[in-house]
Amino acid sequence: MKNKSKNISAKLMEAAPVAGLVILLGIFLAIAAAKNVNIPYSFKNIVNQSIITMIVATGAIYIYTLGAFDISLGASMCVSALVGAMAYNATQSVVVMLLVCVGCAVLISLTSSVLASVFNLPVFVTTIAMLSLLNALSLVLIRVNGTGDVIQVPAMAVMKLNTVWFKLLVMAAFTALCVLTFNYMKLGRQQKFTGGNPLCAKLSGLNAKKLSIIGFMMAGLGVGLGAFLTITYAPTLSRNTASSVGMDVIISIVFGGMPVSGGARSKIHAAIVGALSMTLLSQIMLMLNLDSGISQMIKAVIFLAVVYVSMFSSRKTILPR
Amino acid sequence: MPDIVEIKNMSKRFGPTVALDDVSLSACSGEVLGLIGENGSGKSTATSIYAGMQKCDEGTMLFKGQPWNPLSMNDALAKGVGMIVQENGTVPGISAAENIFLGETAEFTNGLFVNRKKMIEKAQNALDRIGADHINAALPAGALDFQDRKLVEIARVMEKNPDVLVVDETTTALSQKGRDIIYRIMEEMKNAGKTVIFISHDLDEIMNRCDRLTVLRDGKIIRTFNSDEFEEGAIKAAMIGRELSGSYYRDDYEEETESETVLTAEHLNLTDQLIDFSMEVRKGEILGIGGLSHCGMHTLGKVLFAAEKAESGTIKVHDHTYENEAAAMKEGIGYVAKDRDTESLVLEASIKDNIAIAGLDRIAVKKHFIFRKNENRYVDEQVASLSIKCNDSSQYVSTLSGGNKQKVAFGKWMGRDSQILILDCPTRGVDIGVKQSMYQLMYRMKQEGKSIILISEEMAELIGMSDRLLIMKDGRLQKELKRSRELSEADVIEYMI
Amino acid sequence: MKSFRKFFVLCLSFVMMLTLTACSSGGGSADADPTQKTVKIGVLVSDTTSAEALSFRSYYEKYIQSVYNVEFMYSDELTDAAAEQSAIDNFIANNCQAIISFASSDRPAQIEKCEQEGVYYAVATGTLTDDQYEQFKSYSHYVGAIGPDLAAEYQAGYDMAKHFLDQGYTKFGMFTGASVYFTEMHIYRAAGMLAAMCEAGKGDYSGATGYDIVGKIMADGGNVSTGKIGSVEVNGVVSGYDFDDAWFGKLAAVANDPNVDVLLAVGSGQTAFAGFKPEGKMLGDIDCYTADSVALMESGTLNYLAGKFSASIGPIFAATLSAVYGKPVRTAEGNALALSQGYWIATDAEMAKKYFEVDSSTTNPAYTKEKLDTLIGASYDDFAKFVAAYSFEEIQK
Repeated sequence: MKNKSKNISAKLMEAAPVAGLVILLGIFLAIAAAKNVNIPYSFKNIVNQSIITMIVATGAIYIYTLGAFDISLGASMCVSALVGAMAYNATQSVVVMLLVCVGCAVLISLTSSVLASVFNLPVFVTTIAMLSLLNALSLVLIRVNGTGDVIQVPAMAVMKLNTVWFKLLVMAAFTALCVLTFNYMKLGRQQKFTGGNPLCAKLSGLNAKKLSIIGFMMAGLGVGLGAFLTITYAPTLSRNTASSVGMDVIISIVFGGMPVSGGARSKIHAAIVGALSMTLLSQIMLMLNLDSGISQMIKAVIFLAVVYVSMFSSRKTILPR
Repeated sequence: MPDIVEIKNMSKRFGPTVALDDVSLSACSGEVLGLIGENGSGKSTATSIYAGMQKCDEGTMLFKGQPWNPLSMNDALAKGVGMIVQENGTVPGISAAENIFLGETAEFTNGLFVNRKKMIEKAQNALDRIGADHINAALPAGALDFQDRKLVEIARVMEKNPDVLVVDETTTALSQKGRDIIYRIMEEMKNAGKTVIFISHDLDEIMNRCDRLTVLRDGKIIRTFNSDEFEEGAIKAAMIGRELSGSYYRDDYEEETESETVLTAEHLNLTDQLIDFSMEVRKGEILGIGGLSHCGMHTLGKVLFAAEKAESGTIKVHDHTYENEAAAMKEGIGYVAKDRDTESLVLEASIKDNIAIAGLDRIAVKKHFIFRKNENRYVDEQVASLSIKCNDSSQYVSTLSGGNKQKVAFGKWMGRDSQILILDCPTRGVDIGVKQSMYQLMYRMKQEGKSIILISEEMAELIGMSDRLLIMKDGRLQKELKRSRELSEADVIEYMI
Repeated sequence: MKSFRKFFVLCLSFVMMLTLTACSSGGGSADADPTQKTVKIGVLVSDTTSAEALSFRSYYEKYIQSVYNVEFMYSDELTDAAAEQSAIDNFIANNCQAIISFASSDRPAQIEKCEQEGVYYAVATGTLTDDQYEQFKSYSHYVGAIGPDLAAEYQAGYDMAKHFLDQGYTKFGMFTGASVYFTEMHIYRAAGMLAAMCEAGKGDYSGATGYDIVGKIMADGGNVSTGKIGSVEVNGVVSGYDFDDAWFGKLAAVANDPNVDVLLAVGSGQTAFAGFKPEGKMLGDIDCYTADSVALMESGTLNYLAGKFSASIGPIFAATLSAVYGKPVRTAEGNALALSQGYWIATDAEMAKKYFEVDSSTTNPAYTKEKLDTLIGASYDDFAKFVAAYSFEEIQK
């Protein structure tokens, strides 16, 4: 009986992020009703604002699962979007733009992970170097190819793709790929195991470097798609494009109930649940017209609480002998 | 003799698990009290509460007749009760000296800065005093092996000159030298009129070293034996609540018929760990490898699994060489590492994750796709055949007892039907019941034609289980001994030291 | 597992119930008098911390919101075009009827979006380029722009440099701010300064004089170079907003250069130079009126300040509200507003103090409700006349 109740509480803990999302949705709707907010538009808005983070974070799950960290996600997305926009301006082809965005982001990711592998460095270190490099690169790209301080794609060219349905389609396709590789293929199992204990993974015949490279490639794919959708949403790109993506990704993943240390508790849906929760939270605070400083503080407090609860729940399961 | 340690009606729960149920025990000055029981019987919980590591839910404690409620382990140690814990108790990133004077570096500061030289000197003295003079106090603890880290921990406790010392299953992890150090300390304390509480799985050891022996089972005191009542069968029965049926080790001593060689290693060299080492393993053979802790046998296990590279020499399985762990696995080799929690298992992952990982190629459909049904079937087979005690296979390994953890580590390789299993100290920290079932398992595997390389620091186990026994010393093969009824520990030790 | 499912079903039911409640309470009754209903106005900002941004915000939130039936909803700090789009979406979802924008990553996209969604849009403290104005002037929801146009920015730089040149100074150091990020406002101000130097020094800036200097700076990637302009010298230039040690080091070096007598800043000069400036040197800045700038003028650290006054964003608010009330202010051709407004210029502490007192008042600011009320439903000519009389003295009249 006691075991059963323990089991249920563990399952509830596991469901906490989803429950949190549902509760946030409830609060959102309650306040929206009270404040006479345009709910259909709000939902469209929530999708618009969370979808890029969802996609990039879903890809990034592959990195976080390994217990690794990529600080250059935002910069990589900015450069990929800039290069993608340049490709469009040169060819007038949206397909080329998509391929270039994805290709560029994957290439950047691969560079980070292969460099780390060749020089035997923690991949986090190479992503720090990448961050500086990419920031400089985005400035150069804008200076050489831009008009003033921006690179623009004609709004008309991408307007048709700037619809909620198209974005949902892109996300569904990418999520399906991730769910397949993470939950139904060897890759996901191996990634989680390596994240949980790299030494044990090595002694179980897993190749951490190969897994890291594949993980970064998947993350690159997410970043590339994110870059493409960024262009369709706001075709004027500057050096500040996607600057908040890196932070949004990590907050989403934690909100989604995944430990940043990776390992067995990693789950692919954490990114989606987390990104939606975060956007809902922002929308709630916006409806309450809270000062942005106060909003940030509330987010920080909730973030800490989520991390504490998830750590506490995993601590409780370890009995001293 | 007056009682120094008194525990009265102590109870402790961890969530739904009852760890201690109305436990009362006492130890007097000049006494070594043994505590024995299966994993999870409550011996470590009771002593760790007395040593300030955690609090009890109910009960009272006395130390030298006064109420005893230590705030922490450091507080307890400062007041005279020290404990050497079972698991790793040192901080890896700082020096051995800093570990010895953990939290007390203020003692060595002159104004702003810590006088490291003075601290290292004093720490070296503490190490020398316990007979661990081979350890350099200035080295980071992470650079020391398990045994030396344990010795650092012992030096930290003994530096405070405690009146009560709790030794919690420390000796199983140590070589003879390490054990001798602990035995000497226990003896000296006893002679000085102090108290030692000694926890061990090793029945011989505990009967030899203790004046009295208390048996715990499922959080309750079962019986206390005085030294004149020590009798192996009775103690074992008290521990597991039933008579042990069947033989402990294997009891066949027939001459092995020659069978084919499955693995050969020739002229392996690796700095001072392996020196021109050659060996072969035959089909259906249990090959024991013994020696002192530093003799190179643990490195040999890793090299045979290609987890470490030998500088020269060749290893072949059926005439195939292999370069890395994955290739070794393809050749049918499995490896259970010595350091179970850090090398063999992912603690914060389920039993399923741990068992399935080595067998993904067997579970996968069309090489890459994993379906839950196949995975569950694969894992459940191992859980059932190894009798792993758990709610279900999604339970986290961190919640299992030592014995069950080790079974999971076994299951990982049994599942993929490994033909050659390298087992490095497979019964370390495992209670008698589980130990016996592991020996039976090894024997069953042998009979199935599988080969086992059993690396161990327990001589009785090596002698009891091996068809052939290779004794290593300083990286070299010192002696090969055949299985025989007459082989004694003394015969083996002769070649080890 | 069963209880687990139950839990989800419960959560979902809870949400569905709320959705129904939310949808059923969606339709409100329409008021006959638009002024009776609180008008929600979204404000897009790309800067939330500078003194100028804070003083603008204070005017809207502490004064306008207290005297008009409006509610301002501020965005977070917007750093790129995507963030601007998201913020507009947020405002629309929250039923804002109009948006006033201080953010300029992609103004055309902002205008397009608001037109498409039927939300009034106005630009504060800035103007559109001529091409942009041509493109959007007839959009029914584009209210217009009031602020210093680029000619006014050029003039502000020109006047500041001339002020010191007239006093006989010939050795200058410059801080050109965001010119290297191609921020036109800063490029025009810098060009104005250099144009004044060309006139006084009877020389040219890399072959260019007057307005041509703008093109020259653009061609040089937003960089201004040092060198002689006839008898005038520019002996040090710093740009960007790196806020790192190297950046501060460069600023200190220019401030302390013995060949520099006057420091001119296109903005943020107080942050850039005031900390390093030795006594005896002059400092001119184009910024806003704050307690700090007044104190700096009193101490002689700052010697010239062309400042936007916080109430300068009053007329664009009035135009926006007027549009929401169904009385848009349009030109005779039915086009949106495009009016320029200059700076208040203080050349001594006395003037600065006087300006600041009016500017910082939340009860009696430069543009009070009484004055702004005259603009609601006003004709284009009256409106333009009102905005053109922006100097301190004219407003006080």
